Amino acid sequence: MIGLPSYLVLAALVFSIGLFGVLTRRNAVGILLGIELMLNAVNINLVAFARFNGDLTGLIFTLFTISITVAEIAVGLAIVIAIFRVRRTVEADRLDLLRG
Amino acid sequence: MTLETVGFWVVAVVLLASSLAVVLTPNLFHAVLYLAAALVATGVIFLLLDQPFLFAVQLLLYAGGVVTIVVFAIMLTERLVGERIRQTSRHLVNGAIVAAAVFAGVAGFLLQAPLTTVRPQPAADATVAIGRALVGPFAVTLLLLGVLLVTALLGALHFARGEE
Amino acid sequence: MTADVLLPLLVLAMPFVSFVLLAVVGPLRRTGRGAGVVSIAAIAVSFVAALVVWDRGIVAARTWGWIPADGGPIATVGVLVDPLSNAMLVLVTLVSLLVQIYSLAYLADERRAPLGRYYTYQSLFVFSMLGLVLAPGFLQMFIFWELVGLCSYLLIGFWYERPAAARAAVKAFWITKLGDVGFIVGIVLLWSATGTFEFDDLFEKAQANALAVPGLAAIMFLIYLGAVGKSAQFPLHVWLPDAMEGPTPVSALIHAATMVTAGVYMVTRTEPLFALVPEVLTLIAWVGAFTALLAATMACVEGDIKRVLAYSTVSQLGYMMAAAGAGASPAGFLHLLTHGLFKALLFLAAGAVIHAAGTNDIFRMGGLFRAMPHTAIVFVVGTLALAGVPPLAGFFSKEAVLGGVWEAHLAVPFLMLALTALLTAFYMFRVVFVTFFGRAHAGGHPHEAPWLMRGPLWVLAILTVVVGIRLALGGGEAHEEAPAWLAPLSVGLAAAGFVLAWAMYQRGAIDPARVAAALAPLDYAARRRYGLDALYAGLYRGIILGFSRLIGWIDRYFVDGILNALTALTLRAGDSLRRMQSGRAQDYVYGVAFGMLLLFVCAQLWRR
Repeated sequence: MIGLPSYLVLAALVFSIGLFGVLTRRNAVGILLGIELMLNAVNINLVAFARFNGDLTGLIFTLFTISITVAEIAVGLAIVIAIFRVRRTVEADRLDLLRG
Repeated sequence: MTLETVGFWVVAVVLLASSLAVVLTPNLFHAVLYLAAALVATGVIFLLLDQPFLFAVQLLLYAGGVVTIVVFAIMLTERLVGERIRQTSRHLVNGAIVAAAVFAGVAGFLLQAPLTTVRPQPAADATVAIGRALVGPFAVTLLLLGVLLVTALLGALHFARGEE
Repeated sequence: MTADVLLPLLVLAMPFVSFVLLAVVGPLRRTGRGAGVVSIAAIAVSFVAALVVWDRGIVAARTWGWIPADGGPIATVGVLVDPLSNAMLVLVTLVSLLVQIYSLAYLADERRAPLGRYYTYQSLFVFSMLGLVLAPGFLQMFIFWELVGLCSYLLIGFWYERPAAARAAVKAFWITKLGDVGFIVGIVLLWSATGTFEFDDLFEKAQANALAVPGLAAIMFLIYLGAVGKSAQFPLHVWLPDAMEGPTPVSALIHAATMVTAGVYMVTRTEPLFALVPEVLTLIAWVGAFTALLAATMACVEGDIKRVLAYSTVSQLGYMMAAAGAGASPAGFLHLLTHGLFKALLFLAAGAVIHAAGTNDIFRMGGLFRAMPHTAIVFVVGTLALAGVPPLAGFFSKEAVLGGVWEAHLAVPFLMLALTALLTAFYMFRVVFVTFFGRAHAGGHPHEAPWLMRGPLWVLAILTVVVGIRLALGGGEAHEEAPAWLAPLSVGLAAAGFVLAWAMYQRGAIDPARVAAALAPLDYAARRRYGLDALYAGLYRGIILGFSRLIGWIDRYFVDGILNALTALTLRAGDSLRRMQSGRAQDYVYGVAFGMLLLFVCAQLWRR
């Protein structure tokens, strides 16, 4: 029986995989892809809860999350391009100006 | 083995496989394509959860918009450098351990919690309800979202413009 | 408040007003001579008021509560006026007035600002001394006691750029402080036993035999220690000769007539209490007599004119204390008054001599009689008084002291005092002969002192003679009690001393060097001040400085060391923690993930 736990475990798996991507990818764009996966997993969670608890709020929340993600990706990539222009690299290891 | 179960398992496998591919492929361009696949798989999951509207939104915005943007970004950064960007990862083991630990933690909590496995009756068409909710109780949030999108647009424009 | 209380308060208030005015109003003080005029005017008013108080013979007492408590104030301030304090009032204000006038000429070379500072200190000193004299209880007396010591420090170290003066001021402060520690301990012990500081209450209790406190002898001995320090009794006498580093008017005022007499005054004032412990009184008499003799021997080998006078002061203070210890405190007090007059005279005259000759060393002077006859005459008058030659004032007071000591059957102190009388005449006339007679030295052109200096000298000289004649005619009470052979004895001793000095220094009949060789061990010891100064210096360097060095070491290595260790630890910890900030966003995500895992674990544990 495919119940709520199954969906949640699936979302957790996708989340972890996305986290792995964020932690290990060298390219900045690659990191952003990992973030995408994590947000995706969150959406699955939200919709599953909305379906199994009969609550509409989860669906609304998902809509908003998707929209915000789009905005964030747009701005993030713009920043990546701007950084690339200045520093000629998007390798995350090289972008350590905030080093203490 | 109901249809529902089979469908779920198939979609789950596809989703997981494409997710792994996103984070493991050396080639960045391929990673984006795999991401598109993962997003579509997620949309199918929404379908399985009786939310066609959200499936449509997912395809439109995510699989359509986001993937497009990322592809453009890759092409831009690639072209500026003039070569294909090699994509390698590092510290794989560390990352794997941490990610696995996080999953273990979350899953541990999940499985301890009393969660229902029975689906209630599907409500009335969610789309109408969503629509009514958006202009009703969530109107302010919707408008704020609009402001956010405008801000993001302006921000992206500013950053992408470069020095004048 | 009646006039009886107002007048003494006026005497006390005028110098205080002058001090506050000069201390606060900087421009006035910095005019130098202007400050002097203000101070002299104030003290002149004080003097007139003191004369009125003394003449009327006012007896009064008034106190105001200071530290309140249940059942009456713990401490009071106020005035206690009786013949004893009245006489002191006149003495203090008179000598202060003359000294301040004299200072205008003596310190004429000073720059304006230091001169203003000098008169500020002088005003403060007079105020403190008067407050001490008028004190109705031990607490007020102690407060002004300390103030007087402070003024002494300030005035001895007036020329503070001179290292010798600075050292002398600190030495005076330290040595008198040793005595003061005993004083305050004694006062507090007495208070804890009787519950009061006031003289009136204590004397009443003593009269009614209600003062049977265990350890009263120890308490009174501790109180006496204050007098030992302040009045330069052995062994705390070593500060007085060095205090001569201060200006001569200061020496005349503080170290001849007023501050050093505070100890004698205190013992005299509290005589009803000392009378209860005769063993302490005997000790006081012995120490006084011994001090007198010791200082006289040191004066005989001294070449600095001010030092001779300083040792002479120590010696005469010994006389006064011996009289007090013998139970003849009126005699001691009389000697205090007369000595105040002629010792101030001698110091001021010495100041004129120093001013003219440009040196303190008597062996570099000579034949000054021709150059400064006025000064020479008044100096000889003072010397005659000090040596105890009738009909000058010193004769009567010295004879009274000797009589009192004899009446108390203190044979050895009497002998010591008699020998001291001989030596006193000897060393004083030695100074007279060497300084004023004999061959004049080349170099410098000594001249008579200006009238601003000569005036006070003549006033004091005339007073010495007048007081002596009055004592000869009027106050004859002490006369009758003394044995008949005492007067001829003291005159004979003075004459013997004069003859000896004349023979050795004027006529050259006896060679001083041969006498010194004959008394070689005594001469050697006296020249080195019996090693006492060296002892004190050694103790100071050894104990106090050693202790300071130890404390300094602890401060540097322990206290600072702990601080430095902590700081270094913090810095090193910071350095190693800083590596956490790699600047790479992914590392921070690791951190977030770790934090989240930690939260999971904590939540799990908390659920259990």
